[in-house]
Amino acid sequence: MPATDYQASFLGRISIRRNQVIAMDGNHEQELQDLELFSKHVSERFAELLSSPDDIPFDALLSISWLRKLLDFFLCCEAEFKGVLMMGNDPSQISKPPLDRLIPEFLDRSVKALDVCNAVTNGLESVRHYQKLAEIVVSALEQKPIGDGQSRRAKKALTSLMSAMNVDDKECSAAKATERSWSFSRRGVSSKDRVPEHFRSVSNQVAKNWSAAKQIQAMTNNLVPPRGAEGSGLASPVYTMSVIMVFVMWALVAAIPCQERNGLSAIHFPAPKQLNWAQSIIGLHEKIGEEWKKKEKKGTAGLLDEMQKMEKLGNILMDFTDSFQFHGDITDQKAEEAAARSAELAETCRRMEEGLLPLQIQIREVFHRIVKTRTELLNALDQVGKSSPPLL
Amino acid sequence: MDECQSAIPAHDGDLHVVAAAHHIVKALGTTKNLSDDLRKILIDLDAHLSLITSNIDSKGGKGFVEVEERLKRVERKIVIWESDRIMIWDSGPKEVSDYLEAVDEVQTLIDSLRGLSMNENQKQKELLHRASSLLQMAMSRLEEELIHMLVKHKQQSEPTYMPSPSSQRNVVYNESVVSLDNESAKEASSKSSRSDECGEYIVDLVPEHVIPDIKSIAKVMFASDYGQEFCEAFIGVRKEALEQHFDILENGKLSIEDVLKMEWCSLSTEMNKWTWSMKIIFRVYLMSEKRLCDQVLGEFGSVNSFCFLEIAKTTILCLLNFGEAIAMGPQEPEKLLRLLDMYETLADLVLDIDALFSEDGGSFVRLEFHKLLEGLADSVKAAFNTFRVAVSSNGSLYPFPGGGVHPLSKYVMNYISMFPDYSSTLNLLLEDQHSDVASLVSEPQCGPTASLSTSCPMACHLRSITSSLESNLHKKSKLYKDEALQHIFLMNNLHYMVQKVKGSELRPFFGDEWIRKHNAKFQQHEMNYERVTWSSVVLLLKDDNPGSSSLSKSAFKEKCKGFSIAFEEVYKNQTSWCIPDPQLREDLRISTSLKVVHAYRTFLGRNPAHVDDKCIKHTVEDVEKLLLDLFEGSPRSLRNSRRMMKT
Repeated sequence: MPATDYQASFLGRISIRRNQVIAMDGNHEQELQDLELFSKHVSERFAELLSSPDDIPFDALLSISWLRKLLDFFLCCEAEFKGVLMMGNDPSQISKPPLDRLIPEFLDRSVKALDVCNAVTNGLESVRHYQKLAEIVVSALEQKPIGDGQSRRAKKALTSLMSAMNVDDKECSAAKATERSWSFSRRGVSSKDRVPEHFRSVSNQVAKNWSAAKQIQAMTNNLVPPRGAEGSGLASPVYTMSVIMVFVMWALVAAIPCQERNGLSAIHFPAPKQLNWAQSIIGLHEKIGEEWKKKEKKGTAGLLDEMQKMEKLGNILMDFTDSFQFHGDITDQKAEEAAARSAELAETCRRMEEGLLPLQIQIREVFHRIVKTRTELLNALDQVGKSSPPLL
Repeated sequence: MDECQSAIPAHDGDLHVVAAAHHIVKALGTTKNLSDDLRKILIDLDAHLSLITSNIDSKGGKGFVEVEERLKRVERKIVIWESDRIMIWDSGPKEVSDYLEAVDEVQTLIDSLRGLSMNENQKQKELLHRASSLLQMAMSRLEEELIHMLVKHKQQSEPTYMPSPSSQRNVVYNESVVSLDNESAKEASSKSSRSDECGEYIVDLVPEHVIPDIKSIAKVMFASDYGQEFCEAFIGVRKEALEQHFDILENGKLSIEDVLKMEWCSLSTEMNKWTWSMKIIFRVYLMSEKRLCDQVLGEFGSVNSFCFLEIAKTTILCLLNFGEAIAMGPQEPEKLLRLLDMYETLADLVLDIDALFSEDGGSFVRLEFHKLLEGLADSVKAAFNTFRVAVSSNGSLYPFPGGGVHPLSKYVMNYISMFPDYSSTLNLLLEDQHSDVASLVSEPQCGPTASLSTSCPMACHLRSITSSLESNLHKKSKLYKDEALQHIFLMNNLHYMVQKVKGSELRPFFGDEWIRKHNAKFQQHEMNYERVTWSSVVLLLKDDNPGSSSLSKSAFKEKCKGFSIAFEEVYKNQTSWCIPDPQLREDLRISTSLKVVHAYRTFLGRNPAHVDDKCIKHTVEDVEKLLLDLFEGSPRSLRNSRRMMKT
């Protein structure tokens, strides 16, 4: 569902409400209704994400389109959150306890999320590189009949692809750039399959010691569900939105190559199961966390569904090219299977071609939205600070 | 044209058509000045016809002899390099052209073999496999040659012209207006050397003579459908080269969190670096990179812009992110100049960016930079406003000692004297806030009759800032208990403001009217000072009884004593006061002298009978000399010195 639908109806609702004459009690009631509606929408959206069928590849968990849906929902929740927090309410509320503490913490989290967005945007550049390598494999295997030349060409690109996808996170950092510098004291390598040459260094945008996992871990600092009376006030949407933000960033980092992800699966945010809206998020977190644990040991570029497919197909095709070279030829049955896998790979590449840029643009949109809300909240705090008498 | 000569002429009757065609093709092939493309077509056709000939000739049996021969020949040429440690392109032009010809031949053979219907001919299939194997070997080799070539030559192509960022406007205001109270502010020397813009400076990222080599590889790889491999290799090396150049510019790899937490001093340096890097990266490196891509890939359509984008993207994202981090940060007043630098740099580059990324794929980059430009514009406005607010709200608890020029005045005047450098940008950005300010500044310059320079938005904003400063100074002057010192303080500060305006590029924005008016203001304070301090003192010497010729001795003594006490009191106080401007100090002493010394001399002159040492503590000359000690900022007392002189 596109973000605009939500926004449109949502804004409509706000404008109606703002036109109402608000009595003190009515205001409070309205606020409660808003809060309820907000958490209802959150739980609906994440339930939809959780129920994504694995067998329909297009919508599979952590596929490009799934991530785009996730980001769409993030934007919707964010818009509603801002509405609940800032419109119609007494603006001075955000400077009173407990919000005077929760809002700055939330803003701190937002800034950290921005850095994650940038890291992920950068990581998508690597994914794009994988796509290009896979396209070479497809081009090689598309040719009929497949001979030694095609098989070698495919194998070369596959070797590059697999080694690019299997670098562990530490290599994603600067070390790799130097390690992979073009030390072609060529001619020493006499074997026919030389070192893969299609590599591109994954350049890091931030300092070497920056860690996506630590960043997300830091986002969970002070993140505790509101207790007692706080639970019915504005503390609860701030908490909800924080959990959503942490989850979305966490999922992006798990899916897309990112600098330093050690300990990503150890991160858990305390979302109590009794909270309705949290159940689907917890479900998703568990599901993705399990996946991550499986892959973490082997070292993976990310859980992005398309990348995992690429890896799987890549392994099969690699075996195929190996046996081709060993036997010099292949049976028709094998050739057919290879052609089918290659077609699957082509389809995966096509989905990447269509989806990666929009995903990147959407991440920028999320980035800009977070910046905007942060600015608005800071301005609101500033205004309140000015209008209220200074505390002694 | 080996293949033309080696073609086997047809000798069977039913092959005469083929043979005839073959002859024509051969004849055409020997023609000089054929275009490369046409020659290639002819060669292909020739090979094709040869194949038909040999195929029909052998009737599906053990034919393809000739093709196999040709394949063997090129195989030798290609395989021989596999065991060689030397790069082909390092070996010599003959080797290069031989190799390229061999690759061409393989491609031709493959095309021809493919062109024939594949009727389960085992031999044909085998030859095709061998040929494509050979092609793969050659392509792999060419890719290596390409990478080697690009890597080898990229180091030697450092641009010779590389002005340093230090030649930029580099005034760093390390102090904040808020922390200024009662501390000496560093006088910032104004500088405005904006002449060093690096302009469009395209360099050879790869030496010119290497371009044809790279192109020849591109051509043959694209012709063999290995364009993807070419692009990946090309992008890989060029991208890394660009990132190395970016690293040389010493841009710290900063997260947004880092930027937001950064101390102003380091942040200012980083902002300067960004401004500089933006210019170098876009004007020099990306422009040059674009040209390189055009040269190498120009004829291959959309891969050109695709490769360029891939090469540039990560570096660009890095620059973009720092810009975003700055645009979202709190806009403290001290950031204003750096923000203006950043804004102006990007505003200058935006058209170039649009041109560099004009293709569809680059719209993302274009859009982001336009957004950033807007963000920086907002930041400039916000910083300008916080500056204004800071100027009017800077408060003090204690009076500024000595009544000299307050650090706030220095800070504000020095700071705004940088603004004329940015006048066109400021005029543009302050336009929409113009009307509110224009109405705030009641001075006539903002009226319709004013000249352009005094009525532009920036001029009105500048005057609104100085008028905020004035009212703040008035507030600060009230902290002095001594009314005279209030006037000295205001005189000093207003005089300083006028001097700063007169002696800088601010003058046209303030106009002569403003200067006249403010001259009058500080002169008024000068007069008020004299009145408040000296009127009562001089009054002591006044003749109470103008009719009589002279005073009684006791009355004279009384008056002398009164004058001495009053004078010493003023002396004690006002030697600690301060008038930093020597001219102003001189002027005030002269006019004080005129008033006081004159009155004293007249007083003494009227009573010549009583004039002796015992009554007169200070001679006229003493008073004249002592007045010179005033406003030097070093407190002195007369009582001690006098006593010492007596003993």
